[in-house]
Amino acid sequence: MQKLTITRLVVMLFALTLLASGCAKKPVAEQSSMTEQPAQVEMQQQEPAAVAEQTVSDSAATDTAAYDAAAAARAAERAAASGLNRIYFDFDQYVLTDAAKSTLVSNAGLLRAAPAIKVMIEGHCDERGSDEYNLALGEKRALATKNYLVSLGVAAERMNVISYGEEMPLDAARTKEAWAKNRRSEFKIKR
Amino acid sequence: MKPFKNSLLVLMFLTLFSSTVCAARIEISAPGEQTIPLAMTRLLPMGSEQAGVAEEFLQVLLGDLELSGLFAMVDPASFLSDADKLGLRRTDIDFYQWRMLGSEALIKGGYSFSADKLTIELRLYDVITQRLLTGRRYIGKLTDVRKIAHTFADQVLLSLTGEKGPFSTKIAYISNRTGRKELYLMDVDGHQPVRMTDHRTIVLNPDFSPTRKELIFTSYKNGNPDLFRKEIYTGRESRVSLKQGLNIGGRYSPEGREIALTLSKDKNSEIYLIGTDGTIHRRLTNHYGIDVDPSWSPKGNKIAFVSDRRGNPNIFVVDVFSLKVSRLTYEGKYNATPAWSPKDDRIAFARMDNGVFNVFTIREDGTDERQLTFGAGSKEHPRWSPDGRFLIYSHDLDGKKSIWIMRADGSGAKRISAPGGDDTHPAWSERW
Repeated sequence: MQKLTITRLVVMLFALTLLASGCAKKPVAEQSSMTEQPAQVEMQQQEPAAVAEQTVSDSAATDTAAYDAAAAARAAERAAASGLNRIYFDFDQYVLTDAAKSTLVSNAGLLRAAPAIKVMIEGHCDERGSDEYNLALGEKRALATKNYLVSLGVAAERMNVISYGEEMPLDAARTKEAWAKNRRSEFKIKR
Repeated sequence: MKPFKNSLLVLMFLTLFSSTVCAARIEISAPGEQTIPLAMTRLLPMGSEQAGVAEEFLQVLLGDLELSGLFAMVDPASFLSDADKLGLRRTDIDFYQWRMLGSEALIKGGYSFSADKLTIELRLYDVITQRLLTGRRYIGKLTDVRKIAHTFADQVLLSLTGEKGPFSTKIAYISNRTGRKELYLMDVDGHQPVRMTDHRTIVLNPDFSPTRKELIFTSYKNGNPDLFRKEIYTGRESRVSLKQGLNIGGRYSPEGREIALTLSKDKNSEIYLIGTDGTIHRRLTNHYGIDVDPSWSPKGNKIAFVSDRRGNPNIFVVDVFSLKVSRLTYEGKYNATPAWSPKDDRIAFARMDNGVFNVFTIREDGTDERQLTFGAGSKEHPRWSPDGRFLIYSHDLDGKKSIWIMRADGSGAKRISAPGGDDTHPAWSERW
């Protein structure tokens, strides 16, 4: 029993001294406790590191947004490359038909969506008519095509023109259908 | 290049007879109006026989003389003993025999071949007066038989008409027989074709320099239709005009110092004069319409060209100095490719009717229009021989284009380029 009371006394005394030393500075004990706490802080910092993994995945989310934009641009370029449709002309004419204009409206949209690409506009003719006259006519067709695209907001410096006259027919047949196919402006993408 | 090397020596033979004797009696104003009965014997060997020489010579000379339309050939089957006699001198010939056959002119000749040297001696006689009209001795290589025959044909025409024939010249043209349009050169009878370019893109519309062995043409070799120049014997090639846009339809001026061509550097095709170094000398047209296809008058003071300034393509003429433009053609809906005769009086062109081109000529003042070709298949790109006697053109027949030749009146049309591709845009050289 006595042993118990002694230990109780010791504990009480210790407790008292602890209480009493509440205001007083006992550097040894505090230092030891201080040295333990940074370890805990370190642990806590490691945990945010795990959270930081989430923020990494967050930043990955913004990467895909950039990736999506690049992909969209590429898609727009692909769309422009495959979607720029030829336009067709009447015999010995370089005036744009209504059908040609509506095709060019769609082409202009594709070109505006893909501002990085440059385009070569080729003017072509059917085989009828003189070769030299057709070279000049093909150039007029290519220029009329370019000018209309410029009016639709496509930068002029993105477009060059060349005439091949009657030298590069799409269809070598000598039918009205073949000739109609050959009187055209074509768009060749240059990156 | 080698076959064109002028390895030929042309010597005047028999100074005994003055050349003033020539062409005294026979007068011919136009082909087809009058034909001379002509007897032409085979070349006889003056020594050992060389296989093929006589045959090839006869075939080439006969082809040229028949094409000229000036002669009615006496049937060789009717020839008598004098045809087999080598005697070429006036005193050796039995003119009575030739007179009996109705011939008024006689060509006799012989050849010898030794030490790689071919010698051909030829005489043209007036049978009626028994006079020598021309005598020639040609010395060359065995491969020069064709060239000698063409050269003598020119000489025969000179003797009988006072003007040399155009047979020993060259024709440039465009052919796609490699799969691409390239520039070629051939003899007037279509033989000895040689490819001159290897651009593997599109080569167009050649023209000969009147003073040098040189051609100009348009090529897409550098990605733009630029005007090129090519020296025929050296093969040296350079770009003459490389303005943005069209540099097409180059035509040397008659004296060879300037080139007329179409440029579109200002976004519209106009006719310009440039120097042979490519610098622009002056602009000849100024119209928002299409202006292409210049062709010089022989004096070099006017240029015919094609314009759609009045709606459809038509031929106009611009004065090189005053720049005054006048319209030449009014008929038809599509007139193109003018070619001014070196004889000054007529301009050939191609007119499209119902989708088919035919060759026409018209006087410089717009009168006396004549249609020279008829029938199916387009005939385009007419160009004159240097003497104005003949026209060459490209004829589209059964879907294939080839070079044809005809007399200036449209008669005697025959194909000259060999089958095997599309041959277009002929141009005739000056004397070679």
